[in-house]
Amino acid sequence: MAVLTRGAFAEPGTSLDFKTGNWRSTEKPSHYHAKAPCHAACPAGEDQQAWFAKLQEGHPEAAWAELVAANPLPAVTGRVCPHPCETACNRATLDGALAIHNVERWLGDEAIRFGWAYPVSEPAVDAPDVAIVGAGPAGISAAYHCLRQGLRATIYEASPETGGLMRSAIPRTRLPRDVLDAELDRVLALSGITLELRTRLGRDVSLDELQHKHAGVLLAPGCQSGKAWSVDGAVPADLHEGLHLLKDFVDHGALPEAGDVIVHGGGNTSMDVARLMKRSGAASVTLVTASGLPGPGTEPADEINVVPRELEEALEEGIEIIDHATINRLIMKGSRVTGVEIMSLRKLPGQDGRPHRVGFEGTERVVSVDMVIPCIGEEVDAEGFAELVDHGYLRPKDRLGRLNRDRVIALGDARGDRGTVAAAIGDGRLAVSALAAELAGQPDPAPDLRTEMKSAGLNTTYYDHLPRATSPKRAVAERTFDTEIEGDIGRAAAMAEAQRCLSCGNCLACDNCWSFCPDNAVIKTVELALDGSHYLFDLDYCKGCGLCAHECPTGFIQMVPEEAGAEQPA
Amino acid sequence: MSVANERGERLSELRQKYGREPLPPRAEGTADTPREAQPKFRGLDSGHRACQGCGEALAARLVMESAGPDVMIANATGCLEVFTTPWPQSAWRVPWVHSLFENAAAVASGMEAAMKAKGRNTKVLAFGGDGGTYDIGFQALSGMLERYHNILYVCYDNEAYMNTGIQRSSSTPHSATTTTSPAGKERMGKRHLKKDLLSIIAAHHIPYSASASVAFPADLQRKVRYAMGIDGPTFLVVHSPCPLGWRHASALTIEVARRAVECGLFPLVEVERGAVTNVMPIRNVRPVTDYLELQGRFAHLMKGGDARAEEERAHLQALADYNIGVFGLKGEGEDPVDTGGIAAVGRSGRPAGRV
Repeated sequence: MAVLTRGAFAEPGTSLDFKTGNWRSTEKPSHYHAKAPCHAACPAGEDQQAWFAKLQEGHPEAAWAELVAANPLPAVTGRVCPHPCETACNRATLDGALAIHNVERWLGDEAIRFGWAYPVSEPAVDAPDVAIVGAGPAGISAAYHCLRQGLRATIYEASPETGGLMRSAIPRTRLPRDVLDAELDRVLALSGITLELRTRLGRDVSLDELQHKHAGVLLAPGCQSGKAWSVDGAVPADLHEGLHLLKDFVDHGALPEAGDVIVHGGGNTSMDVARLMKRSGAASVTLVTASGLPGPGTEPADEINVVPRELEEALEEGIEIIDHATINRLIMKGSRVTGVEIMSLRKLPGQDGRPHRVGFEGTERVVSVDMVIPCIGEEVDAEGFAELVDHGYLRPKDRLGRLNRDRVIALGDARGDRGTVAAAIGDGRLAVSALAAELAGQPDPAPDLRTEMKSAGLNTTYYDHLPRATSPKRAVAERTFDTEIEGDIGRAAAMAEAQRCLSCGNCLACDNCWSFCPDNAVIKTVELALDGSHYLFDLDYCKGCGLCAHECPTGFIQMVPEEAGAEQPA
Repeated sequence: MSVANERGERLSELRQKYGREPLPPRAEGTADTPREAQPKFRGLDSGHRACQGCGEALAARLVMESAGPDVMIANATGCLEVFTTPWPQSAWRVPWVHSLFENAAAVASGMEAAMKAKGRNTKVLAFGGDGGTYDIGFQALSGMLERYHNILYVCYDNEAYMNTGIQRSSSTPHSATTTTSPAGKERMGKRHLKKDLLSIIAAHHIPYSASASVAFPADLQRKVRYAMGIDGPTFLVVHSPCPLGWRHASALTIEVARRAVECGLFPLVEVERGAVTNVMPIRNVRPVTDYLELQGRFAHLMKGGDARAEEERAHLQALADYNIGVFGLKGEGEDPVDTGGIAAVGRSGRPAGRV
């Protein structure tokens, strides 16, 4: 209420009576928490931005708790994951992507060292019990997420050991067994999880039994049998299939002797096999892959599907790679291979629009070798439950992994389109959330449809130059079969690396909006800001100039149409 | 857990031995609203009538935050005076006097003398726009500096008479178009150069004068605090974009101000007793066209294929290069207080390890 004064003076601060907010015509500022690209890219569903925020505040244990809300095995994934989060990281456009995997690994190791406990409690005695087939990453993750959802879990594992491919096929140079054991044991020690070893689906227990006994069945059997490999019907007598060779090596430490080796395939198995063969003394090891090497001219879908640093290390170790090529013909002496004919090829869209492999005549060349190791993928070993398997895999009917049976969900490698530990872990979380919702009579958990914060949405003026942490690495000559190649970056480097996180799409509490508003229309308040930020907009005075949105480093402030709520920007 | 416990015990031990008494809880009723509880001094409050994205309103608010509550202001006629005090209201929370266009410095001098006579320490500020400082109020300002009054004079430089309708001032940069220096067949905007006011001020041999920009609030506020601590005349010119007069989007006020500094056209320097004592180094020098392209007042310079436009662009670039050369603005390596470093933020404010 304006008071007219008798003289030419005014009381202090009386302009507050005049609400300049009605000057806004079209847009108002709004807080919008977009997905950080690392989170959007993470197959395990981690929100890296969220746990980096805790590290920036100086709380490693809280960061770890935030991390394990999605992924119970960070010390494992920090070592073996191809980290699509780092590929997606917006900081790559500034001064290099964050070393997310190094920090994840350090956090995972800290948790093991200090014995940090998972933020879960024991489920009720009469809580529904879920059957999980397979104790690989998908099964372990599913069991853990059952507890988070208040369910009990019983894991049925065919072999006498847990860990699946993490134990049987990942070399110790990438994943030391004490780390794997520490993380698996920490999950399996949780009360509410029962483990049945040496119990194979289809041999010791049937699916009907499981369905009868349990509230739901999660199938994570993995892929155990190598795909049949031949070149025009020719198969060498001494064929070593890649995954079997790897498993034999991990179990017994034995590798076949060979001089010149060709490895055929473009995944992590082929990379591991190639490097092991080279380290065991092969004169030359050549990888032949239909995919391309990462580079400016390569489409992401065409890129070789391996951990980037593994590729780098393989090249250091002298592995030769022939990309965009396939083995066209085996040259045999009797039933032994003496050479291969290699032909260039590309994946090109065919008439049906789907990619086809097209070989190019005139590009054939002959290389003499004495061993060819195919690593062209594996499929589900369907013995005992063949009725569920369709062309080698369990093929779900929806994104959550449901099969054509009530409350039976497929997860992990067995779905055929996964291929990483992180994807298996993500499947475990999603499957359990779907099952828990179904058991509670609720609709399926909604997919996260928030938009992703791209680098164009950030104001990078406000980020200082900070170079990426380098991780210690064993020199090529010192690499053995048993010791880990990449080292720990240590606390100081990990905490410094956390400061590099741009906090894409989420409030950094940097005070920019508060300092730059010409109208004092940003109120700083931790208590009243319920959206995770520290600020409120006082729309009584906001004139809608948009300065705050432009100067927000993280894109957390966006201008939205006047009539819209605080949700999705237009 | 035990480590944390031990540390907690040790901390409370140390607190008992050396610590201060904890602050008493805040008295009930001192802050009724979140607005009143803001952890900064609101010398210039909301409800003022500045345009959307006003650089001057922002600059005045930032100056008031650092100058603190124990000040009084003489304010020359101009935008700032008009939009903050539409009678019977005022957006100010300190004693504030409206002077004429030409005599803010003279009125402030009188206020300062009165404070001295009453034995009070209240610092007197004088505020003016570039019209009231570079042109109309210049002789009063010169007198104030010469008489050595204990006053901080702040010039909010938006480079034209914006309040009366964008007429050119002696602060308007070369070749900018205004209503009295329109670009057209005869001329490419203002024919003359921007007055080098800071050198004239420096020639008064006063303790401190400096230029600042709204794009760098940390730097601006440091300069205000430094000037507040000096007993004697001090002068600050703050580059404050005007979306209406410069014809840029209201959201771009800071961006425009930042580019002005980063291209060298508005150097941030500090002068003490006539000598340049500090400059803000530019981490990555930008071409002046980066600055010009955002603003309608320079749109005639950005037309392709126009030889006159090209010449004027080259002229402005030469002026920027001159500033960079004379003041040594080009940064040598990364510096925490160069244009890149001072803008840096981290979680909860400044990056870790910075003050």
